[in-house]
Amino acid sequence: MDNQKNVPMIELRHVEKHYGDQHVLRDINLSVRKGEVVVIIGPSGSGKSTLCRSIKRLEPIDSGEILLEGEPIPQEGKKLAELRAQIGMVFQSFNLFAHRTVLDNITLAPVDVLKKSRKEVREEALRLLERVGVRDQADKVPAQLSGGQQQRAAIARSLAMHPKVMLFDEPTSALDPEMIQEVLNVIAELAQEGMTMLIVTHEMSFARRVADRVIFMDGGQIVEENTPELFFSNPESQRARDFLNSLHAE
Amino acid sequence: MGLTDLLSKYGSQYFQALLTTWRLTAVSFAGAFLIGILITVARVSPIRPLRIFGDIYVQIFRNIPGAALLILLVYALPYLQIVLPYDVCVTTATVLIPSAFCSEHLMSGMNTISPGQIEAARALGLTFLQMIRRIIIPQALRSSVLPMTNLLVATMLTTSLASQVPMRPRDLTGIVSYINTHDTGGVMAFVISAALYCLTALVIGKIGSLVDRKVRILR
Repeated sequence: MDNQKNVPMIELRHVEKHYGDQHVLRDINLSVRKGEVVVIIGPSGSGKSTLCRSIKRLEPIDSGEILLEGEPIPQEGKKLAELRAQIGMVFQSFNLFAHRTVLDNITLAPVDVLKKSRKEVREEALRLLERVGVRDQADKVPAQLSGGQQQRAAIARSLAMHPKVMLFDEPTSALDPEMIQEVLNVIAELAQEGMTMLIVTHEMSFARRVADRVIFMDGGQIVEENTPELFFSNPESQRARDFLNSLHAE
Repeated sequence: MGLTDLLSKYGSQYFQALLTTWRLTAVSFAGAFLIGILITVARVSPIRPLRIFGDIYVQIFRNIPGAALLILLVYALPYLQIVLPYDVCVTTATVLIPSAFCSEHLMSGMNTISPGQIEAARALGLTFLQMIRRIIIPQALRSSVLPMTNLLVATMLTTSLASQVPMRPRDLTGIVSYINTHDTGGVMAFVISAALYCLTALVIGKIGSLVDRKVRILR
């Protein structure tokens, strides 16, 4: 019944996870279509980041299935590395390789993992750096860049792998306020270009702007799923209302 | 014998001994470095038996006195029908012991790498060995230049074990024993060797801090 077009880019089926006694993911079912931008919001500790990280298998799950274009992502092994490389990820703390230049950070994986030629990769890396606006920082090491510049370089590093989907795990939470916008703009541009994305964020106006769909999580569960218009103007659940009100109160 | 007498009579032999000590040090350190890296990779590998092997290796060679190891190699191995030449025995001891310390330094160098970088490497699809080669070992090495410099000096001092077996040519400690059994060099014979050890250590230390300043990772 599924023809290729209807297979979701990412699909989670009955995903469960515990940290000791804590039930951090409860029967998560979620699918992201090709080209869709899904934003996950929710209070701290609601399981948003864990969900995001579990898709990459950076966190093991207890049970359930995670599929990339209909293909199950295994828990370990060479196949996992292969599928991981097709899912881009941007972290809260940038995680650039401290000992290499910005340019090397971007070329490393395409050369080592995708076995592309250094020359070709280098040219593309410079184009990507241009696109995220840090071309002039290419020969510096990460510590010489501002947080916003580092995060934009990290986005370029992910894009260099030509991922089918991008995951953003609170990409602006570690940034000074004046740098948040420059990073969000890069992400918004990607959204416009049709990149499939799953974004965990606390930036509500940004969520409203880029999301095709908003997912609200609380206590390890998906509590509500809706279009941004409906979710932000008229949330269905009490928990989502409380959460949004607490934000306005600030 | 005074300093001038000693130097005029044994100067060239001291020079030979200095070169021997340098050679032993270089060979031992190179071997220790290589094995140290391999053992460290084993200690962080996803394969449990390898990790256990690496930990046991380090515990053994970090805790055995050099002289004891040398005695085992020279006097115990022949009972197993293994008779090694003296220089091989010495070099084996001066490789194995520093290799354990080398691994310890690398492990502490690794602790300077933020876990996020490892996650990023995994997220990009790097395999364990690619991660080791491209991210972990380079950073661990660059963060452990100063302890490695100390290890190089310690390795040099360990090569004085060579004086405990009839190895030719003699090293800096061996030459003192030779002079004092054939002649009356007294304390001055020791002082010359000590000065040469010190001088070498100073040079090593200086180069080490220069290298450290050059390769240290900005964080």
